[in-house]
Amino acid sequence: MNSQNAKPVALPYNRTRQAREAETMLDRIVDDFDDNPAAMAYFYDLFRRAWCQGEPMERTGVRVGTTCIHAPEELIYAMGATPVRLCNGSYHYDQIGADFMPAKSCSLVKATLGMLSSENAIPRIGKLDLIVNPTTCDQKKKAGAMMAAMGHAVYDLELPPSKESEQSRVYWQRSVREFALRLRSLTGNKLTKKNLTAAMARTGRAQAAFRTLHNFRRKAPSLVLGKDAFLVTNAYFFDDIDRWTEAVEKLNAELARREKDGFCAAQKKAPRILFTGSPPIFPNLKLPLLIEQAGGVVVADETCSANRMLYDMTSVDEWLLNDMVDSLADKYLKPCTCPIFTNNEDRIRRLLELARSFAVDGVVYQSFAGCQVYEMEQRSVAEALNKAGVAMLYVETDYSLDDMGQLSTRIEAFIESMKTRRRKAA
Amino acid sequence: MNYFAGLDIGSTAIKVALVDEAGGLVGVHVSDSGSLFHKNAKEALRVLLDRHGVRREQVGYLIATGYGRKLFKEADDSISEITANAIGAHEVGRAFGGVRTIINIGGQDSKAIQIDANGSVSNFAMNDKCAAGTGRFLDVAARNLDIDLEELGDYHFNGRGAPLTINSTCTVFAESEIIGLLANSHGKEEIVAGIHYSIARRTVRLAKRVGIEDRVYFDGGPALNKGLVAAIQDELQRELVVPEHPQTTTAFGAAILARQEFLAERAAA
Repeated sequence: MNSQNAKPVALPYNRTRQAREAETMLDRIVDDFDDNPAAMAYFYDLFRRAWCQGEPMERTGVRVGTTCIHAPEELIYAMGATPVRLCNGSYHYDQIGADFMPAKSCSLVKATLGMLSSENAIPRIGKLDLIVNPTTCDQKKKAGAMMAAMGHAVYDLELPPSKESEQSRVYWQRSVREFALRLRSLTGNKLTKKNLTAAMARTGRAQAAFRTLHNFRRKAPSLVLGKDAFLVTNAYFFDDIDRWTEAVEKLNAELARREKDGFCAAQKKAPRILFTGSPPIFPNLKLPLLIEQAGGVVVADETCSANRMLYDMTSVDEWLLNDMVDSLADKYLKPCTCPIFTNNEDRIRRLLELARSFAVDGVVYQSFAGCQVYEMEQRSVAEALNKAGVAMLYVETDYSLDDMGQLSTRIEAFIESMKTRRRKAA
Repeated sequence: MNYFAGLDIGSTAIKVALVDEAGGLVGVHVSDSGSLFHKNAKEALRVLLDRHGVRREQVGYLIATGYGRKLFKEADDSISEITANAIGAHEVGRAFGGVRTIINIGGQDSKAIQIDANGSVSNFAMNDKCAAGTGRFLDVAARNLDIDLEELGDYHFNGRGAPLTINSTCTVFAESEIIGLLANSHGKEEIVAGIHYSIARRTVRLAKRVGIEDRVYFDGGPALNKGLVAAIQDELQRELVVPEHPQTTTAFGAAILARQEFLAERAAA
């Protein structure tokens, strides 16, 4: 008997707390609603395999993790590598990541650190050859060094603090070019007009599919629920881009049929909600889920896990490599409405535009506790929306499920107040 | 003759209100929530109906609200306690010349609600996920001091010294603070007044977040506590409107809405 070397027996993954957390959320997303689109089965299955069963998500070649939407994916694809978005929504990883961060810090950063410090992290995309960490908010900036301390190769992609000035634009273009050089030394491949054009076509097709889906959500009554839309955009984080695009195109085809058949995914009178603030990332989809369980429908969003990530396309003036890279840099800087920018009037403009064009009744603004920039911007956003006659509910929350009861009361009251207002206006 | 019921299943108490076809309040009943919410809610409804000689099938529409609203399957509909509270307070407030701000303290949460002239909710705030400054806090404090909950009001006014300061907002920490004050042989009266002021400060902060307009209506179980009412008035520097049955405003609001829904459905049919 040599019991000293006996390894402790670990639970099979699908019975761990992490798998249970994901499963509970997925079951609610799938089972609590009737008439889920048939094309959503692809996404439900993907999350079930990746998150509930811990199945390996095979990725060949060089893998580049990104911690933010500012990392230009087209460069990564052009050099023959695969980008994987690392922003994480798991409470289990949030708890692990709490070791690295002060008590009052953002769940997303904590969960991402928790994931990166774990062996065999979920989703199982394998070892990362590089993590590109755009210097956005303070917490993400400081997290980069912690990732490096864990043994990851980290590249800080320098982002300017504002996006309006010409010097910020020039600074950022240089950052992007530097990044291209770093990728070249990582992959051994050169950036060419040909491979960059092909990469732009690939992401362009994915963006076009997203835009089509986005436009379907304008329709009233709704053809698709927000909880599904968020799951679709969350899948983009780690799914194969071409497979993802095909699956979204299938979903769009189904929505087109739904429109023809006069199908309603929510009640005709369901209050239409625009979602903004800290990004909903699976398994933390509790807020969109609560909104739709309370009888509202999330018709649009202004977040970096969905609309902000996929909406904007690169517009190239001159198809020469240098100009292409600069256009690409512009696309990542100019339309971005992240609250890290010192002046972010653009975000308010964007929200008002979305509220108008999607006939929105109210806005739900999520802020992860400890995310200072979103917390600070909520006042000005609330003022601008109220002036435009759009109600806003500000919710400060984190990844734990402790506040579900309280949140459901608040969200229901918010949805009810919009229904009442509409009845009185009629 | 049809009747309409509102059932407010709270964390601490179950409140039932019954209105008739003209919208007049027939009666109310309050009982403990206990641990069997569903059974106790059914029982509370039965008691109220028996008292007024109303048969269950005469209840044309029933709306459940409160923490346990989803558990009560016999309800025709459920609404959040914020909406129900606003409807009830708007109705009861008429007798006081109308109210626009509501402060509600319940068994495990506190809310501030702003309503417009028609009684629709225009803004609201709710405490976060902790029991500080709620009825539960009063409950814990009374138990530490060995006082009946109903006696807290008298203690508040019988103190000779100034209210003591309770610094902790957390119920658990406040508990040790209270025990510390007792150990230092401070009078129970001054401690009680201190507890009321600590709740009042928190509540007023919450109310200021939604904005205070016009008359302020104060309801929920703790509004029965005259000492707490005095402390909130002092912190707010204005007089509160406290209804005769502060515990049942929300149930009454749900009953009013039940009647409206019933009439709307009948008109549509």
